Parts: sequence; C-alpha cells; structure tokens
Amino acid sequence: MRFIVLFLLLISAAQAILEVSVVKKDKNPLPIVISDFELIGAGAQDKTSAEIIRNNLERSGRFDVFVADSLEEFDSEHWKQRGIEAVVSGTIEQQSEKIYKISATLFDVYSNKKLFSKSTRVHLSGFRKVAHQLSDHIYEALLGESGSFNTLLTYVTVAKNKAGERVYQLNISDSDAHNVKSKIKLKTPILSPVWSPERSYENKKIAYVSFQNGRSEVFIWYPYSRRKIEKLPSFDGIASSPSWHPNGKSLLLTLSKNGNKDIYSYTLSDKALQRLTSNPSIDTEASYSPDSKHLVFTSNRSGQVQIYIKNLSNGRIKRATFEGTYNAKAVFSPDGKSLALVHRVNNDYRIATLDIATQDLSVVTDSKLDESPYFSPNGDMIIFSTNSNGKGLLSVVSVQGQRSYQLSSQNAEVREPNWSTYLE
Amino acid sequence: MKNTLLILPFLALLAACGTSGSSKNIIVEDRNPEVIARETSSFEWQDSSKSAKNSANFSANSIENIALTELKSSAVEFVLYFSYDGFDIDEATTQEIIKHANFMRDNPKIDLRLEGHADERGTREYNLALGENRAISVKEVLGLYQGLSARVQVVSYGEENPVAAGHNESAWAKNRRVEFIYQPSK
Repeated sequence: MRFIVLFLLLISAAQAILEVSVVKKDKNPLPIVISDFELIGAGAQDKTSAEIIRNNLERSGRFDVFVADSLEEFDSEHWKQRGIEAVVSGTIEQQSEKIYKISATLFDVYSNKKLFSKSTRVHLSGFRKVAHQLSDHIYEALLGESGSFNTLLTYVTVAKNKAGERVYQLNISDSDAHNVKSKIKLKTPILSPVWSPERSYENKKIAYVSFQNGRSEVFIWYPYSRRKIEKLPSFDGIASSPSWHPNGKSLLLTLSKNGNKDIYSYTLSDKALQRLTSNPSIDTEASYSPDSKHLVFTSNRSGQVQIYIKNLSNGRIKRATFEGTYNAKAVFSPDGKSLALVHRVNNDYRIATLDIATQDLSVVTDSKLDESPYFSPNGDMIIFSTNSNGKGLLSVVSVQGQRSYQLSSQNAEVREPNWSTYLE
Repeated sequence: MKNTLLILPFLALLAACGTSGSSKNIIVEDRNPEVIARETSSFEWQDSSKSAKNSANFSANSIENIALTELKSSAVEFVLYFSYDGFDIDEATTQEIIKHANFMRDNPKIDLRLEGHADERGTREYNLALGENRAISVKEVLGLYQGLSARVQVVSYGEENPVAAGHNESAWAKNRRVEFIYQPSK
C-alpha cells in the first residue's frame, strides 16, 4: 500500500485541545485521497490546510481518508485500481506579505471528471477557515448534503486545581475542536452556554449561566468584539437556561419569580420581559423552533418530567412526549421536524430523537448519563455530553446512530456542548 | 520530479476553467479572539469572598457564634435529604425544620441561606429548578411556624455541587439535599 492512513497520526496532545477519536463509521465510507497542498513561491507557507480537511472528513464517519505518497502519479486508472473514488489537490500561493491564494480541486475518479475547482484569497489568519469551507464544499459535492465544518463549538471544561478545587472554564473552538479560546475561568459552576444565531463573527455572542455571584445568573460573552461580558439584570430567584431567538435579539430564560419556575422571553435592546408559561409546576429548558413559531420546553406539570410544545401564535401548549417517565431538554432539529432530547430508559438517561408529527421516539445512544443534546447545523449529527468510566466527555453521533466520534480531555471533564450555525 | 511534471497540466486546466467568480475579491480573515482577549483582560476570577460558604462570617466570641456552635453540637440535622425527583417534606423532616425555626426565633440577628441540590441524573437545568423547589419547600415550613420568610434566602445549585462523587444510589441519595447555612443578618 502506498497510502498512509492518516487520522491517527493527527490526534495531537496539545494541552487545551480536546482529543478526537472516531468510534464508529459508515459501513462503506467513501475512499478519498487528499494530498498536501503544493506551495508556490519562495515565501509560501501552509498551516496544514490539507490536514484540517482530512481530519474533518475522517471525523464525519462518511469517508476513508488517505494521503498520497509524494511520488504517486495523478491518473484516474491508478486510483481506480486502488479503490479510491475521489482525489483532492490544492495549491497555496503567496500574493503579498500576508495574503495568499488557496486553490483546490476535487476530482471524481470513476467519471474521470473534475467536480469543482475553487480558489480564494486569504489572509494568513484565515487558513483554517478556508480549510473548513473547502471541507464543506467537498462534503456537499460528493454526498449531496451540507457539511457542518465551518462552524464553532462551545463547551465547559471542569478540572481540579492543585488545591483540589473544581475550576470551570468556558471554551470556544472550531468544529474540529482546534483553535480553542477560553476567557472565562471560575471556581464556581458554569453551565448552558449557547451560541447566538448570527453568521458574522463580530455579532456572535454566547449566553451562559454562571454562579460567580453565589446564585445562577445569565451572562452574555462577545468573544469576537471588545464588549465586556454583560450580566442580565438580576431577577428574584433562579435565572437560567438561556436560548436565543432565531433573530438573535431576544433570549428565552427560565426565571423563578416568587419561586415559580416559568419560561420568559427577554429582549436585549429594551430589557422587556414577557412571560410565556404560567403553570405552577417547573417549566424550563425552553428553545425556539427554527421558524420561531413554536417553543419546546420541559415541564413536570403532569407529575412526570415531559416535553411540551407551545404554539406562539395561538398560545396552545401540547404535550409532545408520551413514551417513558422522563423526557427533558429538547431542542428542535434544523428542519424543525424532530427533536433531540434526554430520555430515561429504566435507570439510564439516553439521547433520543422524536419525530414531532408521528410521535415516534428513537433512542440513539446506549450509555447511562447522557445529557445536553444539540444538533449539528446540517442536522446530520447530535452532540451531547456523556460519561465514560465516570469521566465527562462529549460524544457526537449521527441521528441514525451509525456513526460517532468523541471529544475528550486527559485532565478535565468536558460537558455542556453547543454547536453554532454556519459562519459567513 | 516526475510528480511535478504530471501535476502541471492539471493546474493549467484548473486555471483555464477559472473559479467561481464571486469569491475572488473577498479576503477571508479569521477574527482572532486571542488578540482581543489579550487586549481586554486576563481571565476573570471570581471574588472569592462572595462564595464564602458555611457560617464562617460570625466573629468568634459573638453571642450568635456561641448559639450556633451550641446548635451544631445538639441533635439537629443541617442537611435534609429528598427522594428521587421529589421535594416533599415528611413528618420527620418537619421536626428538624422546627428545631431550626426555634433557633432562628431565639437568634434574631442570624439569617439563613438554604441551598438546594439534586443528584446528577437528568438534565442540569431541570435539576437547578428541582434544587430550588427543595429549598423552597423547607423555607415554606419555616415561614409557617415563625414567619421567618424574610430572613431566609433560597439558592439552588442543581447537580453542580455534589458531596458524594459516585454514580450509584448511595451517592445520589447524599446529593439530593438542602443545606442550612447560617449568616449574620444584613
């Protein structure tokens, strides 16, 4: 064999970066060769563009990724004999001090045709972003579906310091768990970070819950602007469970004014608060449907913990889950047709999907303490937190359950994942 | 060398075909938050004085501290436990709460912070709500007996601060709790 299976070589042990391990792949992944990008010009440099693309495609579970031997010929017959179905090559050419031209071509071996060739001008700092965009282009050209690579994750890590105290850190990273940035580090719990829906970096924000003042309060972090972290006004009791309106201008919150936990909408510009549920039971974990016409939430109003959907135009609330005694923390899929939620099976808490129209519930995972499910922006995968040997890590599983990978850390628990929408 | 020669016609073809024109004049740039973070501030650490737990704020020789030390050495529970997903107060628990109510009646300069907690099962946000319900249940009993509500602060930590680390019923039972934390009146 003249190819090298690349993926395992790329699992880096850099400190803050989560380790990626592919657990399950498709039965017949598409074999693809992605050669290193050729550098053109004396000062040309690369920040591992090809590696980023290889890792992305391998992680999706839908490809077997190979790297070409540098002496390999480019010839469709040659690849056909080796069972390769697609080949990617690219060039990186310096145009001025910090501006480069990156070009890439995707070649289909069996039809002996070029599926695309693209090029873009990029600042040195934008190489990763271009590699993610190219990954999305390759994914879509070969599979006919959108990828979810040019997106961001946020998650919470919890590690013990030398004094044995828990230290909580709120992190953001690219979808491949690289390019990690953390600013908020506390000795008190942080939970429920959620990306706002804007597509531009400048407007992206994260709402999260922090106990830094001795109680749960909601904060907003602007990771790409110089705005300071903002605390939402103090409410009487709990303020928690933030989630964004699809327009990014208001948030759903759980507040417990007078001790009664209900769903409220809070508008950032005028600080207006609108109460959306008023049952004496616990109502929490609300989020909007993609068209913002419905909201889904958790309530114990029936005496059991179940999922409800409120129609915001007529105000009607309908129970959505009927299977099992505990269903919680539901989120809508990007097409609005299904939910991902936490479902109790005997004594285990697993991730399930619910087809809203048919009420069909399918359990996707088989572990014990799964929580915080969230869909990838293309709707193909669900990210959630789980436990392995008593340690928290993130798992990403395809909605049918046939593919999965994990994101874990040697020295920290990883939890509370959330996946951004597509970036511009 | 052979490789280079073979690749060249392929690139020429690429150039001839052109590229999707729209992206030609856009320079992709990643806004690097690291730079921004460096410019604005370092990590935000909490003010540790705010999280001061327990009853450490009483001065050693105060009447309140002596009374509290006496309460702690008597047969009074400072942690009350709950059933799975439950926040009901049974008769035995009520008796414990009455002891605290009497203590608060006798010590008007002491306020109470009730911290509600849940076990790790189920979702974090639901457990935050459940922990608050547990603390509110206790507060309601206190309020009934002595009208002490105004001196009782309720906080929920949900499943975030477990006292027992295991993933089994004995650990979970210890974590489904309300803690009594006395503080000087404000």
